[in-house]
Amino acid sequence: MLEIKNLHASVEGKEILKGVNLTIGDGEVHVLMGPNGSGKSTLSHVLVGNPKYTVTEGSITFNGKDLLELSPEDRSHEGIFMSFQAPIEIPGVSMTNFLRAAVNAKRKYFGEEPIAAGDFLKMLKEKRKLVGLDAHFMSRGVNEGFSGGERKRNEIFQMAVLEPKFSILDETDSGLDVDALRIVAEGFNLLRTPQTSAMVITHYQRMLDYLKPDFVHVLVNGQIVKEGDASLGYAIEEKGFDWIKEELK
Amino acid sequence: MSSLEQYLQLYHAEKQRIAAGSCAPLNALREEQLALLEKHGLPTKRNEEYLYTDVEAALAPDYGVNLNRSVPAIDPYQTYRCAVPNLSTWLYFVVNDVVMPSEGHAAPLPEGVVVETLCQAAAKKTDFIAKFYHRAAGKNYDGIAAINTLLAQDGILVHISKGVQLKKPIQIVNVSAAKNDLMMNRRILVVVEEGAQGSILLCDHAEGEQNHLSTQVVEVFAAPHAQLDIYSIEETKSTNTRFSNLYTEQAAESNISYTNVTLTNGNTRNRAEFRLLGENAKVEARGALMTDAEERVDNYLLVDHAVPQCTSEMLYKYVINGKSTAAFTGKVLVREGAQKSLSEQINANLLASPEARVLTQPMLEIYADDVKCNHGSSIGKMDENALFYMRQRGIAEQEARLLLQQAFVNEVLNHVKMEQLRDRLTHLVEMRFRGELSPCQGCKMCR
Repeated sequence: MLEIKNLHASVEGKEILKGVNLTIGDGEVHVLMGPNGSGKSTLSHVLVGNPKYTVTEGSITFNGKDLLELSPEDRSHEGIFMSFQAPIEIPGVSMTNFLRAAVNAKRKYFGEEPIAAGDFLKMLKEKRKLVGLDAHFMSRGVNEGFSGGERKRNEIFQMAVLEPKFSILDETDSGLDVDALRIVAEGFNLLRTPQTSAMVITHYQRMLDYLKPDFVHVLVNGQIVKEGDASLGYAIEEKGFDWIKEELK
Repeated sequence: MSSLEQYLQLYHAEKQRIAAGSCAPLNALREEQLALLEKHGLPTKRNEEYLYTDVEAALAPDYGVNLNRSVPAIDPYQTYRCAVPNLSTWLYFVVNDVVMPSEGHAAPLPEGVVVETLCQAAAKKTDFIAKFYHRAAGKNYDGIAAINTLLAQDGILVHISKGVQLKKPIQIVNVSAAKNDLMMNRRILVVVEEGAQGSILLCDHAEGEQNHLSTQVVEVFAAPHAQLDIYSIEETKSTNTRFSNLYTEQAAESNISYTNVTLTNGNTRNRAEFRLLGENAKVEARGALMTDAEERVDNYLLVDHAVPQCTSEMLYKYVINGKSTAAFTGKVLVREGAQKSLSEQINANLLASPEARVLTQPMLEIYADDVKCNHGSSIGKMDENALFYMRQRGIAEQEARLLLQQAFVNEVLNHVKMEQLRDRLTHLVEMRFRGELSPCQGCKMCR
């Protein structure tokens, strides 16, 4: 599904990613761990095409397409979704209008007619149930007045609505209490299919428990330095990153 | 010849015709206005109230004036058939500056509500018109109001009697439709008696390719416990210059809300003076504009807290595109003894183009010590993080920009109490941002 080769990227002239190689197959969940500042969020933003980040070298192929050639909106249409670490508040743009615009933009990309109003509302209702998001949020501005936990649920709700092929969860678990984390993780699991994949950035064992990842990668100083199965995640949870850094010396 | 001289010469040459096409209470004020204009002249940029509008230049072209009161040969009820979806109004037309006959078109008004021309009203009750006409507009000298009063020959009276609750809005549609360059002097007088309630929807439209200059003076008198919502929507074109002056005087416990939306225009100067003259009166003034190309809009507000315990709230939001210029001046005057005054003023601006210009000037002048007055203004660019968030969800950049701009002014529109009008305005604003709002093709406001 996704193939990242020798990826170098910088932000404001400072190189953050220094040759990342990563391959993610269909139906796989990969967990990305690493100390603060190692480049996890940068990798996420580069994948979705945030213009603040500059790719200086390397390639990203997504389902056979050169991802770096696509605009952020076209990457979204092609099936890439990112759950933001800090979801943005957009006062005055209601959740309903926001999602209608998003859904119809994707339909237009694939040459389809806009969704019928009734179908759209019915779909929103079904998807809201997945993450336990109350109906009244739909008339509010996007993330406007949402608590931290509600914002994260809202990210998974949007993921449910847009049905991406590949999802990036950038610390979606941070700031959630145990119940909210369970709802978000269970919601995510319900959306998994043998054709969809995910890259999950997390620091927490609880998330590993829920997601049962296929692979764990450790990013240090802009490079993936260690890879393994879920047990690597548990080892980091227990011992931290220092032992990995020691191995590198 | 200065701009002013051509109007004074016109008056001297045509005063008989002007008077003949008008009526006593209006004619009674002309010589006094003439003297004031000769003494004070037109406002210049040295005048702090007119920093952002060049009146001399705006009034310089040689426009015609319809002194003979010839009635445009159109039936506006056919030409500009209006029906805001689900919103029925008592509908009146002013074509150029002629109040068009409404007999046989407008359904009968409820008892206690009168809408007629000033001169029709003056024929029946001269004293009533004489009592109110120019009473509020004449308090502080203003060159535009003076020119209007010098030349205006008729206008519309809206009179809502004591205790009457008007369920539907009274809609007055101004259409600039002259086939030659024309100056139009429009006048509206609104008297809302004790405990009465109503709403007024003013729409300005323009058609044709000619240059049109309009001056308009709207005076509103709200008696104790009266309540009036005023909506003023401009949808004109680049060939239009508009000077609109609104004056309100409020007695105790009265409420006025004013919503001003400039959708499309040429060069516009809106002046609004709200006088809170009775305790516990409240005024809310809100404005939204979205300028583009070379459009200019200058909104000047004055709120006069003359007595204790009154409230004023102002919220003006601008989205400025293209090479347009928009100005906001908001002055709150709290007079000596006007304790417990509450005032809040916000002007927020979204600069959507590097060549657009916004000028904002909030002012407080306070002579009482126990008051709570806030004001703030901001000028910002599009939120890049919000734009990217929307693009990540698949919304094209251009569409995302439109949604953010709409959302910015929706904060103003969300205060519109009538749901159908709110929906209609929201829709018009969306069309405006999408560039799908062409100047009046027969009263878009209403279609």
